[in-house]
Amino acid sequence: MRACKALIRHCRFYPIDSVLSLGVIALIIWVLWASISWIVQAADWSVVSSHLPLFASGSYPLDQRWRPLLWISLLAALTLITLIVPIKRGSNRWMGMVLPWCWVFMIPLGLVLMAGGLGLTPVPSRAWGGISLTLLLTVCSAVLALPFGILLALGRTSDLPVLRHSSRLYIDVMRAVPLIAVLFFGKLLIPLFLPMQLEINQVLRAVVAFALFAAAYVAEDVRGGLQAIPETQREAAAVLGLSPLQSLQLVVLPQALRIAIPALTNQAIGLLQNTSLMALLGLVELLGIAQNLLANPAFIGRHLEVYVWLGALYWLFCTAMALLARKIEHSGPTLNGRSA
Amino acid sequence: MPFRTLWVSLAAALMLQACATLGEGGASRLGLIQQRQTLRCGVSGKIPGFSFLSSDGDYSGLDIDLCRAFAAAFIGDADAIEFRQLTAPERFTALRTGEVDLLSRNTTFNLSRDAAGGNGVSFAPVVFHDGQGLMVKTSRGIRTIDDLNGETICVGSGTTTEQNLNDAFEARGIAYTPIKYQDLNQVVAGYLQGRCAAMTSDRSQLAAARSGFAKPKQHQILEAVLSKEPLAPLSAGGDQRLGDAMRWVVYALITAEELGITKANVGDWLDKANKQTELTRLRRFLGVDGDLGMKLGLEADFVVKTIAATGNYGEIYNRHLGPNSAVPIPRGINQLYRDGGAMTAPPFQ
Repeated sequence: MRACKALIRHCRFYPIDSVLSLGVIALIIWVLWASISWIVQAADWSVVSSHLPLFASGSYPLDQRWRPLLWISLLAALTLITLIVPIKRGSNRWMGMVLPWCWVFMIPLGLVLMAGGLGLTPVPSRAWGGISLTLLLTVCSAVLALPFGILLALGRTSDLPVLRHSSRLYIDVMRAVPLIAVLFFGKLLIPLFLPMQLEINQVLRAVVAFALFAAAYVAEDVRGGLQAIPETQREAAAVLGLSPLQSLQLVVLPQALRIAIPALTNQAIGLLQNTSLMALLGLVELLGIAQNLLANPAFIGRHLEVYVWLGALYWLFCTAMALLARKIEHSGPTLNGRSA
Repeated sequence: MPFRTLWVSLAAALMLQACATLGEGGASRLGLIQQRQTLRCGVSGKIPGFSFLSSDGDYSGLDIDLCRAFAAAFIGDADAIEFRQLTAPERFTALRTGEVDLLSRNTTFNLSRDAAGGNGVSFAPVVFHDGQGLMVKTSRGIRTIDDLNGETICVGSGTTTEQNLNDAFEARGIAYTPIKYQDLNQVVAGYLQGRCAAMTSDRSQLAAARSGFAKPKQHQILEAVLSKEPLAPLSAGGDQRLGDAMRWVVYALITAEELGITKANVGDWLDKANKQTELTRLRRFLGVDGDLGMKLGLEADFVVKTIAATGNYGEIYNRHLGPNSAVPIPRGINQLYRDGGAMTAPPFQ
């Protein structure tokens, strides 16, 4: 009752305020109502529901389709386990040891499942597609970009002038060039420079282009982490008799990387979304497969449904990555030695 | 150091794959295709009726069937194809670098693409005569191209379409505002959302797009044809053997339609040719007599294999663009010469 009275009094004293608020509330309700009624009634979701395997794996050979599907489900399962199982030092140490290695193992596993080998039928990369290709592009370029970015960050903060200036030049150039230009270079120009019969796998070209680009940004994020570590820590490490390399490996980098995690997560999420640019360059990843299906005469004009579906998928992946990153961030000691 | 192990294993895995494609050689691309036993065909993958991904994950369309015809003629297996999706800007680069053997990708045959001073590619005969048109909403009251004065027009960028639009409107002194999109599906979406008064593309693509609209009758394709768009498959220039082989495969499809040889009855025709020695023209065409196939660097019976795989030109057309298909486009100029169209083939002699 008191809240109601306060509200009414507020309305009497600030009429314009109240009208504006009511208008905005009405607008929100109208937008929500229109969207929900479209999703439930007007939209024809058959274009999505009848192509779920294609969205997952593209034009991967039909009898081998279980391989990308298996990889995606393993990734999903691992994500769920990681998010659910509490990782604290001391308790549940076994999980804390095993999970990181599971994640590391997922990458070669994904490559083997997608490409074949080790008893599986080889499937050339041009048959890869859909979600599995999007995730593979993201994961592989992230894994390449991280060590390269760390090296660049160390080079950028190094005392050796040649190393410092060349790292800085690389970072500045890469950050000044738009990603689409780097991708065009990798996809269209590199083949022109190579001898006629030499051909580099187009997925590898894309991964390398993404990694080279992302490394420049990763380097700056890591440098931020490095600069947050007080000089006294290095001095203390030196006093304890650690070599500069050991001090870097055992003291500085683990802390710097932990500080850089939120920024690195940004890069990873950006990377995932940027892989959709490859649809412009002929890779049939998630966006590419959607465009192919939209050309099927049976489904022309279903753009809105397909793009809403794509938006939901990208949202799901990005949210999962953000949650995982938060988990990692909260699972270990912080700079001050306290568990966050 | 998990990162290092990872990095090394990843690099090794991908490098191995890259190396696996090394070591192929040969003077003509045709020999390479036959040695490799697969045809690498560059396609669009995004054009209804011409090339798209069907619900079972296979490519389908008129451009795709031409790839299949080439594979059947060159290798003897219409399914021995690797399809590569290429966007308009990258298609000629992919051809030049050898990433694909040939393009069957809605490419307009014109001088600057054909000439050595331009893109320097080599075109096979035209497989679909198209022309650029304009589509408007009937309710807008636009009847002729002059009614579009001062209007906005949705157009795909980086293609001859954009240039033709400009040329046609400049010539008539009509002002317009272009809204450019990357590909046709986006042009369609922009047009349907009402961002422009008209959309322009090849008339075949307009018809294809319209057939998918919720209310196709509310859209009208104007009479005006802004350009000739003869679409043809192509290979890299300077490779006469591959160019010739492609040319005569297309001619074989047209000749088969002239003779009434279809996918279903090609076996009967072959029996007939084998039995009746007086049918010299037919025997030459089907490779029973003579060495026409060998002159092209193909098997003697490449025509039989091609027709058995895809049917003749008319069958391919009707399958994807005929009256009962999902994207019906009246055959018009694409009929055989004897039916009043422009499709004809030189003699197999």
